[in-house]
This record gives sequence, C-alpha cells and structure tokens, in this order.
Amino acid sequence: MELTEELKTKMIEVLNLEEMTPADIDDNAPLFGDEGLGLDSIDVLELIVLLERNYGIKITDPKAGKEIFASVRTMADYVAANRTK
Amino acid sequence: MMRYHVLHTVKLCPSFLEVDGRRVAEAGGETSFLTDLYRRLGLDYPKFFKMDILSKVGFLASEFLLEQEGSERFVPRDDRAVLLYNRYSSMHADQVFQETIAHPEDFFPKPSVFVYTLPNIVTGEIAIRNKYHGESNFILLPEYSEQAINQAIECAFLALGTTSLLTGWLEALSENDYNASLSLLNTNQ
Repeated sequence: MELTEELKTKMIEVLNLEEMTPADIDDNAPLFGDEGLGLDSIDVLELIVLLERNYGIKITDPKAGKEIFASVRTMADYVAANRTK
Repeated sequence: MMRYHVLHTVKLCPSFLEVDGRRVAEAGGETSFLTDLYRRLGLDYPKFFKMDILSKVGFLASEFLLEQEGSERFVPRDDRAVLLYNRYSSMHADQVFQETIAHPEDFFPKPSVFVYTLPNIVTGEIAIRNKYHGESNFILLPEYSEQAINQAIECAFLALGTTSLLTGWLEALSENDYNASLSLLNTNQ
C-alpha cells in the first residue's frame, strides 16, 4: 500500500472519520480549515500520536506541525524522510 | 416553591426512543442504534462520531427533544440552562482512556478520549450547539433521586434570568447500557 493511502486509512480510524473513505481525501487538500477535512486541535494531537506510535517519529517542535500536517502529501513526505520503524 | 411546566420530554435507551411519550424509534437494525438515530436526524455533524457514549446519548436525546421547538430552535438565549445528572459520571470514557495508559510498552494516551473524561463535556456540547448562554451543570448523585433532582431544578430556577431548563438523567456505561430521560421545562412566570 502506498504511504499516502496507508496514512489515510489510519487517519480515518484514529480520527473517527466515520463517513469517509480514503478515496474521499485528496492527497493535497488542506487538513485544517473549511476547505479541507476540517480537523481541529485535538485531531492534531491524535496525528502526533499516530506518527509516534506507527512510525517512531516524535514531533517536539510545535511550529513544525503546521508544515507537516498541511496535507496528507506533506505528512507522507515527512514520514518517508524521518521514520524509524 | 417555584412552579414550572414540562414542554417536552424524551426517553432514550438501547431498545427505544420516545418523544413526548410517543415511541418514535426502536432498535433492531444491524448497525448501532445510536448511529441509526444520528442518520435519522439527517445532520451533517461529523463530530458526533468522535464523541464518547455519554455525549452521543446526551447529544441525540437533546436533538430529538429540541427538534420539538420548531422554528424557535437555535435562537440564542441567555435564559435557558442545561442541568443533567447521573451516578457514574464519564466512567466509560475514563475506562477507555485508562486502557491507553495501562501498558508501559504501549503507552499512548489518546487525546480524543481524554477530552471526554468529564461528564460536563456533554452539557457544554448541548449549550454551545444550541447557543444557550445560561448555566451549564452536570451533577453527580449517589443514586437516582426524584427529591434531589427536584431540589436541583428549584435551585436552577432561582438563578437570576433562568426561565427555561433542559434537564434530566443521563447515564451511559456502554453502547448497550445507557439511559437518557430529558425534559424541557419552563417557569410559569
């Protein structure tokens, strides 16, 4: 499975996006704000846990999160470059 | 003694939903009864799926209750308070969260569960969604007590400016064990 698809599947599970499928999530769409998935601050925390638990990535700089979680594509690029598992 | 009258009532348990004493839905589908009721409301409110059981039950019960208000719904008001009671607080969310921190080798506290480890999250959810700016309280009682509940209602109506109350018993221990009995009350003033 491609990393972007894997991330979408995991996001749907941990964020309880009950009525969505991976196909509903555009790789490049913003994850936050009205135009994208509309995720909130608690969702960001869940995504941080997701990266640590599944890929061994610890995000310690809050400012970095804004770029990492801009879209599924940016998340996948970050995971591919920094994963330890 | 403050006099008040009941505008509407709702009862929700794993087997049925009653509004104003009338049976409007019964469990029986293959999917969760709570999810069935959510879809029946026809809402676009994906936050529902993120809620814990207590909030889901309280949210649905309040939606079916307030639906009875028709066009008056969602008019911002300062005079309506939200006052709920139960015995076991947010026990289910507490237990689910505990599971996420119980094993040192798999210690990943789940933020989206942690935010529901307080019973008054559901009173806030109802107040915010419906634009109620009055008092919002969730009271824990040792057991169900009409006397204690009536005293709490009396006290709530003594608050300056409170003329209406969304109130009732709301307990949810699991997807198969919950009970909401909510009422919408108005003072006779």
